[in-house]
Amino acid sequence: MTRTRRATAIIGIGQTDWSGDWRRVRAGEKPADSVGYAAQAFQDALRDSGIPKDDIDGLIVGPTTAYERMGEVLGLNVRWGGQADAVQSVLQAQMAIEAGYAKVIALVYGNDQRSAGTQYGGPSAMGGQSFLSYVYHSPWGMTSQGALYALTLRRYQHERGLSEADMGQVAVAQRAWASMNEAAIQRKQITIDDYLQSRYVCEPLHVFDYCLVNDGGVALIIADAEYAERMRPDPVYILGTGRSDLNTGATSLEPRLTDYYLPAQQQAGASSYEMAGIGPDDMDVMLAYDSFSVHVPLALEGYGYCEVGDVAKFLAEKGIGPGGALPVNTHGGHLSESYMQGWNHQLEAVRQLRGTAGDRQVPGAQTVHYTSDVAGKCMSVIYGR
Amino acid sequence: MDIAPTPAPVPLVHDIPFWESVEQQDLKLQRCADCGQFRYPAGPICAQCNSEQVTWELVSGKGTILSWVVFHKTYLPAYPAPHTVIAVRLDEGPIIISNLEGPEPEGSWIDERVSLRYATMPDGVVLPRFELDRTAS
Repeated sequence: MTRTRRATAIIGIGQTDWSGDWRRVRAGEKPADSVGYAAQAFQDALRDSGIPKDDIDGLIVGPTTAYERMGEVLGLNVRWGGQADAVQSVLQAQMAIEAGYAKVIALVYGNDQRSAGTQYGGPSAMGGQSFLSYVYHSPWGMTSQGALYALTLRRYQHERGLSEADMGQVAVAQRAWASMNEAAIQRKQITIDDYLQSRYVCEPLHVFDYCLVNDGGVALIIADAEYAERMRPDPVYILGTGRSDLNTGATSLEPRLTDYYLPAQQQAGASSYEMAGIGPDDMDVMLAYDSFSVHVPLALEGYGYCEVGDVAKFLAEKGIGPGGALPVNTHGGHLSESYMQGWNHQLEAVRQLRGTAGDRQVPGAQTVHYTSDVAGKCMSVIYGR
Repeated sequence: MDIAPTPAPVPLVHDIPFWESVEQQDLKLQRCADCGQFRYPAGPICAQCNSEQVTWELVSGKGTILSWVVFHKTYLPAYPAPHTVIAVRLDEGPIIISNLEGPEPEGSWIDERVSLRYATMPDGVVLPRFELDRTAS
């Protein structure tokens, strides 16, 4: 079956001043709340798109702000809407547009997690008792998202022969990219030695394996292709998407500890490759959701960039940093640019494909692959010019 | 001196027998009465065969370490850093998150055989934990 894609495209991107707000929050200021950051990003995306606001007929709001309040603040009374995380938002926008429920959808996200002191570990983490995984782990002192990935990484390193120094290549490469990105919060380059000598938070994860926690917002405007092409010369098309979930045994961490989500990644990847008509060898840039560095080697294997078991060799011989064979997280990702829970990766995809990524631009980039594997949901989005 | 409270187990409707068995130091897991699949945590139906019929069965208490981590940051007052957590694959099938008591393995802990024991925390909470199984052949 041949599917005609290029049906939807990103025509506007916006963000807040992550590094400026990082400094302001550290100085004790409260630049905005979550709704405020989302609104700033929306304004930026609307300016970038050049479209009249009245053309927007769909709204998707990130999980950190209330949908109704967000629509009220933005003055958007739409005919289709939803609330979802970054990657699900992109898939939902694609579905809504292809199904004819909306033509031009604003996706907005704002998070004051740093200034509000959001806890990702400890007694009040993530709503604590409402998550079964915390109920079943915390009596034994197992808490924090990082610890889940540390447990995964330890076994993965054992099974795949990945050393700590191999693992350090992810943080080092992403920091090298971030050093070329003026919007990135952490731009000071680090070496493998710096990585190895840095403190552990939850061993085997070093502090450089953890995402930043910062305030900010991101917005995207996604439209049907006909409208997008009418409004601007450089729409960034959604060429293919795929999703596959692994929920069996989730509470006791079965899919994380024994499969590393591999079958779901392979399935999600295959769906998106089929839809786009291209595969991993055709990608110019690869962007992997990276709340922790661990996501990157798992994604490289899971989405077919290297053979299962070969990721250490891939990192060493091919390379994912500047000058490497596969540019990965060219913005610096969550580790170094900004922790916008997957949203900032979509902005980077657009910049690389518009050719506006500045010093870190991958020359002539035609295709960008975004992958996400959070809490059992593996998703793959392929963008192209 | 204040005793740091153990992060409380929160028994839900289906797993009350589990926490009761922990307190009685006789660890039982829910098992599908039709296909025999063990379930942890307990739930309303069998994910494998959809049966609603269950039994509660005493486990052997034997298992193998799948992975382990060391917290170098204190998140919970009851568990000051450094603090170690293990994931154990019980011989019955399910994975259980717990702690290792007593001697620690040299080098990698992965694939070490362990056996169940019970710890009474300073605040009286009973937890199933593990120790290295020196009887393993």
